[in-house]
Amino acid sequence: MLVTVAQALINGLLIGGIYALVSIGVTLIFGVVKVVNFAQGEIVMAGMYTSYFCATLLGIDPLVSLLISMPALFIVGVCLQHFLIRRVLKLGDMPQIFLTFALSLLLTNVALLLFKADYRTIQTSYSDTAIHIGPVYIAVAKLIAFGVAMLLSALLWVFLRTTDLGKAMRASAQNPEVSMLMGINPDLVFAVAVGLALALAGAAGSLLMPFYPAYPMVGQVFILMAFVAVVLGTLGNVTGALIASLMMGVAESLGIQFVGADSGLIVVFVMFLVTLIIRPNGLFGGKRR
Amino acid sequence: MSGKFSRKTLWLSVLFALMLLLPQFVTSRFYMDIVIRVLLFSFIGVAWNLMGGYAKQLSLGHAAYFGLGAYTSTMLQINYGISPWIGMIAGGGVAMLASLPIGALCFRLRGPYFTISTIAMAQVLMLLFLKFRDFAWGAEGTTIPNLGDAPWMMQFEEKAAYFYIALALLVVGLVVTWAVERSWMGYYLVALGEDEDAAQAIGVNVPKMKRHIYLISTFLTALAGTFYIQYIYFIDPPTAFSFNISVEAALVSIVGGIGTLWGPVVGTVLLEVTSTLLQSWLGGGHGGVQLTVYSLILMAVILWRPAGLLGLITDVYHRIFGNKQQSEQEAALDG
Repeated sequence: MLVTVAQALINGLLIGGIYALVSIGVTLIFGVVKVVNFAQGEIVMAGMYTSYFCATLLGIDPLVSLLISMPALFIVGVCLQHFLIRRVLKLGDMPQIFLTFALSLLLTNVALLLFKADYRTIQTSYSDTAIHIGPVYIAVAKLIAFGVAMLLSALLWVFLRTTDLGKAMRASAQNPEVSMLMGINPDLVFAVAVGLALALAGAAGSLLMPFYPAYPMVGQVFILMAFVAVVLGTLGNVTGALIASLMMGVAESLGIQFVGADSGLIVVFVMFLVTLIIRPNGLFGGKRR
Repeated sequence: MSGKFSRKTLWLSVLFALMLLLPQFVTSRFYMDIVIRVLLFSFIGVAWNLMGGYAKQLSLGHAAYFGLGAYTSTMLQINYGISPWIGMIAGGGVAMLASLPIGALCFRLRGPYFTISTIAMAQVLMLLFLKFRDFAWGAEGTTIPNLGDAPWMMQFEEKAAYFYIALALLVVGLVVTWAVERSWMGYYLVALGEDEDAAQAIGVNVPKMKRHIYLISTFLTALAGTFYIQYIYFIDPPTAFSFNISVEAALVSIVGGIGTLWGPVVGTVLLEVTSTLLQSWLGGGHGGVQLTVYSLILMAVILWRPAGLLGLITDVYHRIFGNKQQSEQEAALDG
């Protein structure tokens, strides 16, 4: 019993690291640009296919193609902000929600057209290896993914705290008008924020590739998790999103272990609903939004 | 004013008479199927638009009520032999009941987070119907027993019958919208859609208004669910609670003209015609084409014509036939 619990905890924590990369991106865009990116899951999908084709066509390991998917999606993010999101910032909820939602639909269906609905996996030297600690085992691919995910989150945290651009981003998140008066260029800050968010989602995709199949609809799993995590972790709060993601990974894994293989999501959603009832502003929230 | 009113009524009567006669002209089952789909999705769009368009509560979880309507009537029919006509109304009632707790939760959130919570709710319902096998056939779903020509069980040999039911539903939806638009409630809804806090401040009971329009919208959506399942003779959770239903309800309204009486109808006609043309050009087996094109149209509309294409059409109409003053009057009437 104890072993099963420990095993479920570890598995959940490891996948929670990936959820964290996705939800930190969503919460970063929301915090700075005040727009929810419904297409974040599809960016994970794009990262997965990038690593898949790097591996199958060029023989590059997914951990190395991280260095391709992240900059590529950073550029995509800058373009997304500059050419699309920027144009709806002054408009209401409807254009803001449905523009990125349309993008999500577009990416999924273009992927379906190009790659068909097949599940694609790649085999790496570490895909099937595991470390055994007593009766508990830890899959190496997941451990690496978790480690890199935590490293990237830490780097983002340091970037937001110590660099001028990072501080400008936080200032702009707190008060866009005043920060503009202080000489912060919102266009630049917004573009970098969306770029970073997409780069993180792309990293999530690359890190998933050694142990998770790529298919056009794969983004839906991650975006639902990310949405629940950003609400749980209080909107716009990066650390909150990280903690909530890890919690949800664990909750999902315990759900799969003890309620049934198809019940992981149900447990996560129940958590979401309970939070909405008790603390509608999330676990780390103060004022009502 | 009265002259214009009568002209508008005349056009509507002609349109309605043409629709009634349509099955006389369209004999191909293929085209009849497309027309029925257009009517059904227009109706779902109209139901969504009451809440999403007028009150600006942008739900992407209306599939929850579509599914509840579908499952209620199917379970009543298969387990108790109750006619889907009664089941349809019962389904609407179940949807309304479900909308109360779901609304109480989701309306705590605003803007994009309301949207997200509605998606989560619809997902939860689908997962529950998948999970509880003994309750409602689980993932395998079930086929509706085919009784041949049984009008009392909402089963017909001819597509024309389904056409008239779908048409009747759409007319009901449009009449309800028309009535809401002209009532105090309509004004309250538009006010709270523009700015919730301001509406509350001038005395609109915002939570009550949201609850009421949600009841109406979910009731209508459930009717569509029953009809659809009776039409395709099959039900399973991914069909009844399909995310695509939620998406298309919002999509047709936004493309046509959000918060307008005829917007969802115009949107559905445009999208369905586009999709049919695409299919005939490309042939089958191109999964993803339809939604790719839909999403491009949606993006284009949001970027260049966020009020929807209905306005564009009336503008063009009046540019051709002149009479600018009248166009403004009509625009004001159409909301």
